[in-house]
Amino acid sequence: MGKPSDLIQGTLDLLILKTVALEPRHGWAIAKRIQQISGEVLQVNQGALYPALHRLEQQGWLRAHDGVTATGREAKIYALTAAGRKQLAREIESWDRLSNAIGLIIREAE
Amino acid sequence: MGRRLDRVVLRLRSLFRSADVDRSLQREIEGHLEEGIAEYVARGMSRADARRAALRDFGPVARIEEDCRDMRRVSVLQNLVRDLRYTLRSLGRQPLLVAAATISIGVAAAANTVVLTLASELLFTSPTVRQPERLAYIRTANGSHVSYPQWRELDQSGALAGVAGYQIEIEVNWTGPERSISIMPLIVTSNFFDLLGVPVATGRGFATSEAQAEQQPDVVVVSHPFWQNRLGSDPAALGRVLVFNGRPHTLIGILPRRLRAVPGLGIAPEVYLPLSRHVLPSLDDRRSAAVMLIGRLHERQTLQQGRAALQAAVERLDRGGESAKLGGIRQFAAAGGLSQLTGFAFPEIVLFFGLLAVATGLVLAIACANVAGLLLARGSARRREVAVRSALGATRGRLVQQFLAESFWLALGGTLLGVAVSFALTGALSRVTLPVPIPLEFHAAIDARLLLLFLSLLTVTTCLCGFIPALQVTRPSLVPALKQDEPRFGRRRWTLRAVLVIGQVAVALVLLLTGCLFLRNLGRAHHLDPGFDTSHTLVAQVSFVEGRYTPETRAAFLHDAIERLTALPGLPSATFAHGVPLTMRSGMRTGTDLQRGDGAVFHARYDGNFVGPDYFATMGIPLVKGREFLTTDHAGSARVAVINQEFARRYFSDREPLGSQLHLPGATAPYAVEIVGVVGNSKHRTIGEEQQAAIYESFVQRGNRGRFVHILARTAGSPDAVARDVERVLNGMDRSAAIEVIPMPSALGFAFLPSQIGAVLLGVLGLLGLGLAMVGLYATIAYSVSRRTAEIGIRMALGASRGAVLRMILRDAALFAAVGIAIGLACASFITQPLAAFLVAGLSPGDPVTFTGTAVLLFLVSLAAAASPARRATRIDPVAALRRE
Repeated sequence: MGKPSDLIQGTLDLLILKTVALEPRHGWAIAKRIQQISGEVLQVNQGALYPALHRLEQQGWLRAHDGVTATGREAKIYALTAAGRKQLAREIESWDRLSNAIGLIIREAE
Repeated sequence: MGRRLDRVVLRLRSLFRSADVDRSLQREIEGHLEEGIAEYVARGMSRADARRAALRDFGPVARIEEDCRDMRRVSVLQNLVRDLRYTLRSLGRQPLLVAAATISIGVAAAANTVVLTLASELLFTSPTVRQPERLAYIRTANGSHVSYPQWRELDQSGALAGVAGYQIEIEVNWTGPERSISIMPLIVTSNFFDLLGVPVATGRGFATSEAQAEQQPDVVVVSHPFWQNRLGSDPAALGRVLVFNGRPHTLIGILPRRLRAVPGLGIAPEVYLPLSRHVLPSLDDRRSAAVMLIGRLHERQTLQQGRAALQAAVERLDRGGESAKLGGIRQFAAAGGLSQLTGFAFPEIVLFFGLLAVATGLVLAIACANVAGLLLARGSARRREVAVRSALGATRGRLVQQFLAESFWLALGGTLLGVAVSFALTGALSRVTLPVPIPLEFHAAIDARLLLLFLSLLTVTTCLCGFIPALQVTRPSLVPALKQDEPRFGRRRWTLRAVLVIGQVAVALVLLLTGCLFLRNLGRAHHLDPGFDTSHTLVAQVSFVEGRYTPETRAAFLHDAIERLTALPGLPSATFAHGVPLTMRSGMRTGTDLQRGDGAVFHARYDGNFVGPDYFATMGIPLVKGREFLTTDHAGSARVAVINQEFARRYFSDREPLGSQLHLPGATAPYAVEIVGVVGNSKHRTIGEEQQAAIYESFVQRGNRGRFVHILARTAGSPDAVARDVERVLNGMDRSAAIEVIPMPSALGFAFLPSQIGAVLLGVLGLLGLGLAMVGLYATIAYSVSRRTAEIGIRMALGASRGAVLRMILRDAALFAAVGIAIGLACASFITQPLAAFLVAGLSPGDPVTFTGTAVLLFLVSLAAAASPARRATRIDPVAALRRE
């Protein structure tokens, strides 16, 4: 396993929404979770994470509240809103279309 | 929808609780770093190394925080709010600066608000009628008025939907409970209310059918002020019978308050009477100037089409062969809407307000330059703060924004103050009765126009005050400012500040000089001898009801009045006259060819008046030779005249005037008069006029017509003491005549009015301008002294005397003042030229005394303004100044 890949542009939103859909988490936990689930393949650029979280909150897809983390720290916990759930469905659908399309091209090229 | 609302709430929250939000963001990031540190520590790193590693993983914290804030997309707004808050706090610590700036801007804003609201009220409002934008004021080529038959023909021509006529210059007598007074009605054609749709608050307007001039209509509609002031707000006023010109009229309507009357210009007629032979005996005469015209366009007819149609109708009527022609349409100006701007009917008034607006605009410019100067001085002192901030990464735009925020607060305070003051002023103004014969009424209200004006004043002053200092102070020259390494010994005299101050001095000079010119004019006018006694005379203005007297009965009335008045104690003599010099009705001025009894024909310009027996004795005009008019000079006797010395000097230099014949132009043919007396010179039209030649004729022989006459009385003591007695006697003789008794000094107020208004207005503006310019000069010199502290310290350490330092500082002030004064004088010599018409004889618009006086005065005041900072410079302690190095 080499250097963890950077995220494909535009997929960070999808990953955050998906991660939070399972259960509400704070920023650190979201980054860790993405890393773990992807088998350490995807490394979240921490500098990009927080602006993205704030943007998604601004758009009304996430809602933040103060809470306590698993490790007992006080933190801002992000949860998915109803609008966020719809947005997640849209993002998954467009990701499927995109990955299918890329798959088709790759396979045809073989 | 809910989501959008959420977003708004979030944004507002981040705007107004930005400190909260920032803290929460910092906590969040700190928490994240802690988790990272904990992880590294768990792997066995020292805490310090772990923190470094976590920070490395995270990236630049400040930038990411900024990115997060940007995501909330409020930072521009947020910065603005922050700047506004910050500058408000910092201004709070500088009450002097705030007071000076607010008052400067306030004064200028008040002047501008008064002038602009008055101008917009007069120029850009429409009369209160139905669809004013479909109406047009009409002037024909042959004058503003047309005769009654001509109005009828134009109205019936069908060129427009209709044409209404109105007449504002005929007074009528209303017989009130105590006495009759002469009031200004609007006399209107029968279709006036129906065609124009003037709203009526109570009752109704005239119907076209009931107000036909030929049927002697006896109805009246009164204005709200008339109902309030003259009828005591009588709730049962409808149906009341009011006596106008001795004839009963039924009150059928009361107009709403704050009505903008059809004639425009703030003219507020007291009552509305239908046109009839009672008010206008020459109704059927095609040559009489009966009514002014206002027309309503057909539906879907444009202004141009209306004008063309009316022009065609006028040409058709003129071809009809009637004796008096209309000559075409000279003016066809919309009465409302935007198009009234293009066809404005009153160019003189536009010009007047244009001049006023320029003057007040200049004052605003001075005030703003002044405040800009203050901010500039302060901003330069803050140059270091600015440099530090911009070194820390603030963009120039952000810094400029902060300066603008500062000037915004000052402009806001000033503009609010100004609008408040202007409201107080217009309120006071509307309670003052102007000494003009026409009732005027102005409405000042908080409306959309005022709001617009307020916002534009605010924007203009914010920008004028803020931009220049902001740009100058934030000029990107970081390093010297950081090192506090300003050029201390440079002689940069012609800075922007200096130019501003010079401009102010120039403008102040122009205003002050013009004001002084008017003031000097007024002073001269008051000292001029009118040539007759003003302290022991009084004048009764008598307006008879039209057609009530024949020449014989009127003469009998007047002689009777004189007898009764001279029977009163303290009234040695009384007389009557057609005109009274230096009042509104001063007689007439003629320029014509005259023929002397010896056959010599000469062109003469003279003032004429028709006067009764003992006129010269009563007025205190000395009789040089010959005799006064006598009661024996009656209608049937030989015609006689009296001339003044100037007439004798000009036209009888070669022969004895007494006993000479003179042929004067009559209505049909010249007639001869015999000169029986020569009297002293006196003024006729204006106090400042060149001495005019004059011919007096006998009132009963020549002037015995019309409804106006003056009765004059000489009083032994003060004229005020007997005024009421005179009024009682005259009122008792004819209840229907409107009689106003005024001591001569008050009657002459009219002669001084233009100079008074000019002197007061320009004087006040000039003083304001002077005050503002002096504050500006003071700020500039004070600032330059503070910047040159080190230089002055070194000079003094090297042996410069206090006197030398004083001279050095004052030299700058003197230079600025001198340049400003020179520019101002040059401008003033152009600007004062058109004022010549207002000035008394012998006072030229380039009056050297005024010019020199104002220049010297301004120079001295400038030095005085600079004296205090200059004295401060001499008190600089060289040791302390050098230690600052």
